[in-house]
Amino acid sequence: MPTDTRRITGPETSRSPYDYCQIEISKEENQNELIKSDKKRKDGRLAAQLRPIFLKANVISQARGSSYIEMGQTKVICAVYGPREVMRREDFSLKGQLTCDFKFTTFSCRQRRQHQQDNQEKDLSVQMLEALEPAVCLHKYPKSQINIYATVLQNDGSALSAAIMCASVALATAGIEMYDLVLASSLGVLNTVLLVDPTLQEEENIANETGKSPQNAGTMTLAFLPSLNQVSAMTSDGQFLFDMINKSMQQCIENCQKLYPVLQQCLVEDVKEKANLTHA
Amino acid sequence: MADVDLSEPEKVYILHSVQENLREDGRGCEDFRHMEVETGLISNTNGSARVRLASTDVLVGIKVQLTPVDPKKPNVGRIEFFLDCSANATPAFEGRGGEGLASEITAMLTRSYSCFSAIDYTSLCLLPGQQCWLLYIDILLLECGGNLFDAVSIAVKAALFNLRIPNVTMTKDEGGIELDVSDDPFDFKRLDVSGAPVIVTVNKIGHQHVVDASEKEEACSLAKVMLGITEKGTVTAMKKEGSGSLDSESISEMIESAKNVGIELNKCLLNILKEEEAKIEEPVGFLR
Repeated sequence: MPTDTRRITGPETSRSPYDYCQIEISKEENQNELIKSDKKRKDGRLAAQLRPIFLKANVISQARGSSYIEMGQTKVICAVYGPREVMRREDFSLKGQLTCDFKFTTFSCRQRRQHQQDNQEKDLSVQMLEALEPAVCLHKYPKSQINIYATVLQNDGSALSAAIMCASVALATAGIEMYDLVLASSLGVLNTVLLVDPTLQEEENIANETGKSPQNAGTMTLAFLPSLNQVSAMTSDGQFLFDMINKSMQQCIENCQKLYPVLQQCLVEDVKEKANLTHA
Repeated sequence: MADVDLSEPEKVYILHSVQENLREDGRGCEDFRHMEVETGLISNTNGSARVRLASTDVLVGIKVQLTPVDPKKPNVGRIEFFLDCSANATPAFEGRGGEGLASEITAMLTRSYSCFSAIDYTSLCLLPGQQCWLLYIDILLLECGGNLFDAVSIAVKAALFNLRIPNVTMTKDEGGIELDVSDDPFDFKRLDVSGAPVIVTVNKIGHQHVVDASEKEEACSLAKVMLGITEKGTVTAMKKEGSGSLDSESISEMIESAKNVGIELNKCLLNILKEEEAKIEEPVGFLR
């Protein structure tokens, strides 16, 4: 939405009050650490426990395929349009083109986001594309494009992995030919502790810890094609010792395999629902 | 990137040669091409470097500026990366053509340097909660000959090594602290770059993987893994790129070779930079 800056007689730039009180918050948090004495995390999960997932296909009737995912408080909705004609002649290609658009809604995070895609969102769009592209049979869609739009409604950590899985289900319901479903899993690492499916709070705490020179402090996201046993995308932020990378990678793959039945069940439910509609 | 049109037999030739650990230009799979590094080329900057890696040519200039601190992180300075894809490199960069590549490279650099052990960010802060240095790192791509990410990261590290930040004297005044930036060109402090990472890209070609791929080899590769690696071997950022997928074992192998190459590359680079500094020679620059 365009804003007319001339009409608003405020300061040119403004800052969120959270910028200034954040220091206090993080101090408090470091006292009670990421994992409490009873080996549980803040939200009561064990270190290797995923958050409960809600997944539903076909939520946007006008899109070719769509889906909605909740991982704890992280909520992502995704729509797939196409295959449709490529308009610009210079973009002609015998292989289909896949585009990804990742967007946080303005109200999805603690701080308000802008309408325009910022650098982080652009980076996440590229990462999402990297994860999905190896799974789609693009050679079956010559001269056409497939557009994926993922919108994060609420961000409580691991938004990228939620978006990747959501998009993969949406592609499947759109009837786009794929080699495999794409699963994704995130991991937060602090020293020797691996936190599966981190919440936003945990992600932020880990990012703050990098200032205190621990051995490992970072997050990793991995996308996995389970029946081909291939990794389609892998990114990490923060500092990892070398041995930790392999360990985290294995942990992520394990988590992805745990999630496979969830996606399969969602697709089966969707097919059943469609069958019921045609019978009725 | 410049278009390379390879025919099927050419691709097969490259693939087979990589399989035999003897690449088309005679290198082994973990060898870099010839590289030239020169620092302090541009007198208007606080630090600059030029890296020529075979036919890839990158120029980096760093300018420092005083700025209010980010209220979220009141005790540290900041760095920002900007990359300009010159249309001299390839006509495809004309207009907004290079924007996608530029944002990809700057995102990877920002991530590799976002870890606090990379450089001493606290030394870039003058008055905690008030003023800090902001380093504008401007990168110019002059020629693309494959392996851009690595060449850019090497040039950035060399320019950071060359960086001279003017000393600042602070005097307490009524109503606040006055900052006075020294204009003596020999009154400066340096930045410790021993923890700064370089990016190592490992390309998967056939069943083998290679580092420092030439443009032709990049055209044969469907997937690559990029890692930001420090001299100690810690990984500060990682990313897989390309339309292909990889199995987990080959990723492990690839990051293993990236680590070995990265540690060696960091050491060599630092040695060369120190050597260059010890010698007093007229800069060669572009008159070669």
